[in-house]
Amino acid sequence: MCKRYSKFISSLTLSSFCKALFAEGFLLGEVRQEETVSISDSQISNTEFLQVIEIHNHEPCSKLFSFYDYAGKVNEESLDRILKDRRKNVIGWYRFRRNTQQQMSYREHIIHKQLTHILGVPDLVFLLFSFISTANNSTHALEYVLFRPNRRYNQRVSLTIPNLGNTSQQEYKGSSVPNTSQNYAKVIKEHGTDFFDKDGVMKDIRAIYQVYNALQEKVQAVCIDVEKSERVVESFQADVNKLKRQIAQKKNEKEQEIRMQQAILSRQMPTDSVEPMFVPRMSYTGFAVEGCTLEDSNVSDPPPPYSDFNTSTHDSSGSPGLLESSSIFMPRPQAVGSSSYVSTTDYCAHEM
Amino acid sequence: FNIPINIAVEDRNNTGRCSVDTNRIVHIHSVIILRRSDKRKDRVEISPEQLSAASTEAEISFKMTGRPMRVVGWYHSHPHITVWPSHVDVRTQAMYQMMDQGFVGLIFSCFIEDKNTKVDSFLFAAFNSVSYPSRYDRIEIPIHVVPHETIGKVCLESAVELPKILCQEEQDAYRRIHSLTHLDSVTKIHNGSVFTKNLCSQMSAISGPLLQWLEDRLEQNKQRMQELQQEKEQLLEELAALE
Repeated sequence: MCKRYSKFISSLTLSSFCKALFAEGFLLGEVRQEETVSISDSQISNTEFLQVIEIHNHEPCSKLFSFYDYAGKVNEESLDRILKDRRKNVIGWYRFRRNTQQQMSYREHIIHKQLTHILGVPDLVFLLFSFISTANNSTHALEYVLFRPNRRYNQRVSLTIPNLGNTSQQEYKGSSVPNTSQNYAKVIKEHGTDFFDKDGVMKDIRAIYQVYNALQEKVQAVCIDVEKSERVVESFQADVNKLKRQIAQKKNEKEQEIRMQQAILSRQMPTDSVEPMFVPRMSYTGFAVEGCTLEDSNVSDPPPPYSDFNTSTHDSSGSPGLLESSSIFMPRPQAVGSSSYVSTTDYCAHEM
Repeated sequence: FNIPINIAVEDRNNTGRCSVDTNRIVHIHSVIILRRSDKRKDRVEISPEQLSAASTEAEISFKMTGRPMRVVGWYHSHPHITVWPSHVDVRTQAMYQMMDQGFVGLIFSCFIEDKNTKVDSFLFAAFNSVSYPSRYDRIEIPIHVVPHETIGKVCLESAVELPKILCQEEQDAYRRIHSLTHLDSVTKIHNGSVFTKNLCSQMSAISGPLLQWLEDRLEQNKQRMQELQQEKEQLLEELAALE
């Protein structure tokens, strides 16, 4: 019998990681071993052990540097504050970057080592997302790769995303296999009726449809709750933005006042004293767009170049427009998806 | 917009329409996911009835939101294959452009893995068609996605529409088969089991993850509300101190 530690497969349910330009968080799930036995010409029994990493969920951090500092030193208290009772479910962490290579940075390596030790997960994984675009902005790609940095070899792991598979419905049979056996017909008739109800419909179909219906009703109900919560978050964010603008305006006004007083004082001073005249600064109130969270993003993006983007009165705040969100683009000498592209941006500049 | 990518299906013809404001720049606000009339993996078919229904949907949306909306594009998915449009896609796009010069085509390519680097990709591209004497060629057109902290109602509604559409397609296929009278009981039991199996796949691969995502999102929003509430209180104190 041969025992071989073969390969990792992982199942991942991707959710909306992509809302922020830079984002990070933790991967929650479980790790288990699966044993498969196969027979070959050379061996009667060949046992393979597969380690399966299942990613069930993620815990996003509200901002970068929420559990580590610029030197990459992890703060365990901050970690506990983010993870709370989900700490035991952590199997890895993730990071989302723009226009960078699919490589772990030095800081990420340092953080990973500390997390491995603090969380007590020897095979902690790291999922790196990168968003890149062609120079003409016509094609965009979200690339992702799963690393297991604590291994010396085979550090990159294949990801499997469960999906529906082939739905071409070729499995339905439009004809029956011809059979003239009377015994066959008799047995099928006698026992086959158990599967059908009085209307000739298969009982299983009614049952499974009920399950599906109940699930769909639940999906709709939770969706309504989510939609309400999105609007509340939007409204709270708008309030916070408004308060920040008011505070900034107040501070500006106070500064202006102080400057004007200084200007008055300097004019009143004797003529032989040489003092420069202060020109009061114009106050800046910023964009008056309610409900728009773009300007208050943690990452300083340029303001949208298109003016028709008022989402205050309608529910289309989650809808996109053709507005430029990033001014940094990647020329792609090869087809999008290639890992060996040339980056025109400073890698360290994006390692925030 | 923000549609979870874990609901992309294996087949190519996950199609839809984009309802958009009319302007020189096309603003895409929502999508209408269509039922597939042909489920073969290399076919994308949108019937005139579906086109008409999408226009009606855009009119309804206008009445609800007050924003003029119309159908200005189509999208479909390329699972496991390149994001570039095929010659059939380019020809189809060219035909749409005969009706509307500004009609835009989007393609979403998913489940792409580079075996050597183990890098997986999800890509999308926008294109138009240009016609020459004996052929059509694609033109790449820029597309920008505006990031948002929150998700709009139309996007959420589109997301939960997908499992319904898949189930309806399955029911249609089963009804067509079930209407055949010459099938024996064993074949009928087989077909019923195929329906059950397919619905189970849809529930575990689509509805289940969708429900999980919605629940997680709800939880995150509750957390975010608390954080924003605290921040608001701090800012109010700061503002009061400045008065």
